[in-house]
Amino acid sequence: MLVGGVRAVLGLFFLGIFILATPTALPGADYVGSNVCRTCHPNVFATFFRNPHYKSIASGKEKPENTGCESCHGPGQDHVNARGGKATIPVAFSLVSPEKVLDTCLRCHSQTVSRANIRRSEHTQRDIVCTNCHSIHSSPAPKFLLAKQQQSELCYGCHASVRAQFSMPFKHRVNEGFMQCTDCHNPHGAFASTWNMAARPRMVDQAGGNEEPCLKCHIDKRGPFVYEHAAVRVDGCETCHSPHGSTNARLLKRPVTFTLCLECHNGFGNFGRRLDGPQNPSASHNLADPRYQNCTTCHVRIHGSNGSQLFFR
Amino acid sequence: MTRTKIIIVAHVFAFTLQAQSPVAPTAESVGIPRGDTISGYNVRQSFEVGYRWHSVGGDAGMYRSTVNYGNGPRLLSSSLSVNSVDGHGGYFDHVQINTIGLGNDPYESASLRLEKNRLYRYDLSWRSDAYYNPGLTISGGEHFLDTVRRVQDHDFTLFPQGSFKIFLGYSSNTQTGPALTTIQQFDVRGDEYPLFANIRRAQHEYRLGTELNMMGFRLNVLHAWVDFKDDTPVSLGAASQGNNPADLNTLTSLQRSEPYHGTSPYWRVALFRENKLWAANGRFSYVAGHRAFVDDETAFGFNRVGTPTGTQIVTLGNAERPALAGNFTFSLFPSAKLTLTNQTSISHIRMVGNSYFTQVTNGVFSAFNPFTFLGIRTIANATDADLRLTKWFAVRAGYEYSTRRIRSIEGADIRGVTTPPSQRVPIEQENGLHTGLLGVRIRPLKALSILLDTEIGRADHPIYPVSQRNYETYRGRIEYKLKSVRLAGYSRTDYNTNSASLANFASHSRQYGVDGSWIPKSWFSIDASYTKLHLDTLGAINYFAQINNVGAVQQVTTDQSRYVSNIHSGNLSARVSIRQRVDVSAGYSLVQDVGAHSLVFPQTFPLRYLSPQGRVSVRIREKIRWNVGYQYYGYHTDFSGLQNYRAHTAYTSVLWAF
Repeated sequence: MLVGGVRAVLGLFFLGIFILATPTALPGADYVGSNVCRTCHPNVFATFFRNPHYKSIASGKEKPENTGCESCHGPGQDHVNARGGKATIPVAFSLVSPEKVLDTCLRCHSQTVSRANIRRSEHTQRDIVCTNCHSIHSSPAPKFLLAKQQQSELCYGCHASVRAQFSMPFKHRVNEGFMQCTDCHNPHGAFASTWNMAARPRMVDQAGGNEEPCLKCHIDKRGPFVYEHAAVRVDGCETCHSPHGSTNARLLKRPVTFTLCLECHNGFGNFGRRLDGPQNPSASHNLADPRYQNCTTCHVRIHGSNGSQLFFR
Repeated sequence: MTRTKIIIVAHVFAFTLQAQSPVAPTAESVGIPRGDTISGYNVRQSFEVGYRWHSVGGDAGMYRSTVNYGNGPRLLSSSLSVNSVDGHGGYFDHVQINTIGLGNDPYESASLRLEKNRLYRYDLSWRSDAYYNPGLTISGGEHFLDTVRRVQDHDFTLFPQGSFKIFLGYSSNTQTGPALTTIQQFDVRGDEYPLFANIRRAQHEYRLGTELNMMGFRLNVLHAWVDFKDDTPVSLGAASQGNNPADLNTLTSLQRSEPYHGTSPYWRVALFRENKLWAANGRFSYVAGHRAFVDDETAFGFNRVGTPTGTQIVTLGNAERPALAGNFTFSLFPSAKLTLTNQTSISHIRMVGNSYFTQVTNGVFSAFNPFTFLGIRTIANATDADLRLTKWFAVRAGYEYSTRRIRSIEGADIRGVTTPPSQRVPIEQENGLHTGLLGVRIRPLKALSILLDTEIGRADHPIYPVSQRNYETYRGRIEYKLKSVRLAGYSRTDYNTNSASLANFASHSRQYGVDGSWIPKSWFSIDASYTKLHLDTLGAINYFAQINNVGAVQQVTTDQSRYVSNIHSGNLSARVSIRQRVDVSAGYSLVQDVGAHSLVFPQTFPLRYLSPQGRVSVRIREKIRWNVGYQYYGYHTDFSGLQNYRAHTAYTSVLWAF
């Protein structure tokens, strides 16, 4: 009896999910097909075969509401009857609200891991939706229908302070084309970071093993090491580095190495793993002597070592 | 839309909001070529072939570290696009190839996409970065690098538009080239010596995954095998007096071999679903990092009292790092105006290391067997609400709590004497962080948007003095955008105060900026931005020093590290197109840290880095452009002129598109 009840509840649950999951056409909608659109919009159609959305037309197997122009713009009969006009297009992207734009695109594009958090992403919460970054009909970019030829130009359009950081003498090579913003960030919303606290998603994408994206390229810093520099694992690479760009060599937060180290390694209580502060330099280090001011000359393996607790080798 | 209009639109896209990218490759296109249709495929190609020059006055090493463009012929850029006209090609429907900088530019890349609708998609990305670093740090860095990093990613998807997909992937990352590193011999009061290292690192990752769509849920499973090896040999080129020739320390020979190999296989499982009323996604990942190593180092010379010394160090062992992470996010959309989201995440990472360390110095044997453990467990829960009250006003709020536990053991069995279990008790501490977020967005006019938000966080036991403890962030942004004009201004303030009984750390960061672009005509555009980045930090430091170079070394416990940077950054660029035949563009980029002059003993390092550029691009024929460009780089620091440089770079090229 109990098993039967559970089965019934589960059955209803999955039936509900199935019903909700089934895409539905707009009630009373009249679809005219993309060939009708072509009559008045020949220039859009002339190059549309290069557009990834052309797949829906080429397939020939999709339902009308999932095919060609009307899959995004909605049924076109009213627009045809009115002999044109933006107001008669059910979904005219320049007129509809950001939420409507997002809903329309996510009808097809929601189901990938990289867009799993798009509804709660910082971009969406600021009304930055698909058409702010993607140009469906006039994209100058070779891939992803980006609205700018270079991905970085697209991001700099809003993130001017980031553009300033990448203009610094020491920076990751984004402007030069070696890297792209999406090597480290997921503009569609990232999962919570797991390498530090204050883990509100900030569009930082994880490396495969759920690690900081820095480790995708900086493979030698990944470890594991017998002696980890705990700061790298606990608070992340940004403890010492400014990842976008810096006026300091090696993207360090300070131009002088020893002050960068001493600001943590001051031996004062309440900090560190033992609550006695990360160890300050020993009495053998005369910090007035320039010899001791570049800590990494001796503490070479500062990201982690297998042979030395003090990162000597 | 006529073809001319399409070309104009394409030019406008190219004109607006250009970053200060290197002057080459050329941004201007020859329009939108229709391409040729062959056997049902439309084929378009473009090639920009040219020659680069450069001339550097001053520190060429710093130029190579920050810019690094050299002389020689280049394929500055190229593209090939092949599309099936009816979407029913033979073996493929779309091929897209793009390259940048091939032919010895320091930054080279190539990408390929090959796909057949509904059947497969293959993406290849290949990149190469030649990185040079002449040991840059003000206090005498000695870690030189002249390496090339090559990264390639291959991703193959079977049935990319289907309900069932299969993923295959391969990535490789290599770093090779000469470098200098350092070592201190023969004890912790010894001298420091530069060593030659021939860097040889490689990582290979193989991925296999699948995605299944069933009843609206999508299950994504990925397994990857990652192999890493580092076989960098280290040696001393010739006998050396070290950094301090006045002492008796001398290193006559050193050989080090330290093969370091391991794997980091990982699993990632994601389940997600979205519909009108709710969305949910969960992700679980597990990585089992493992590294095995041997370090064999032999050194001969004289120690700090002049005694002949020979030492051999052998270390072998392994390090393990299993890491598990999971996220679950649930979003509710009770109405079109309200989104509620709750996210829970957990991360658990353990680092366990075992190694056997032996050292023989002048026949005296010592050994120890360290055991180390570091475990970090973080649990976080965040709730966000986003309410769109009207078309022009929305508010969002959020709260997050995260708690972290850190456990560690550091110890060693010395010469086979096993440490009793009572001394292997881990050190443990927990800390928590509460954060709150409140923001509004206002759109009083369609062209005007205003965003304001603040985040305030309070942590109870930050692990480091520089960690976030009592922090506040205030952000504001206003943007006005019409067809030909865009103006935006923003401000961001980050304050963090972290203090304990004897130490305090405070960080104040403020960013302000304005930027805008104006495109009054299709043949003219101008783009400008200005950003001020201010940072001042104040932290208590504690060290030993010989005060005023007199007397004994004393402990200094009352000093502070104060760092101030005031960076002004500006970009200005303008483009003019004359009769759609000649395009002239000019840009100017300036980064200037003016430092701080009014404070007492701050660390402040004023510098100026500027880069004007200009380019002329002439449309010779319908499909051919001739381009010439010049870019200047100037790097100047007030602290030390040793690394200043002035560099003139130029190029000329022919762009052919058809």
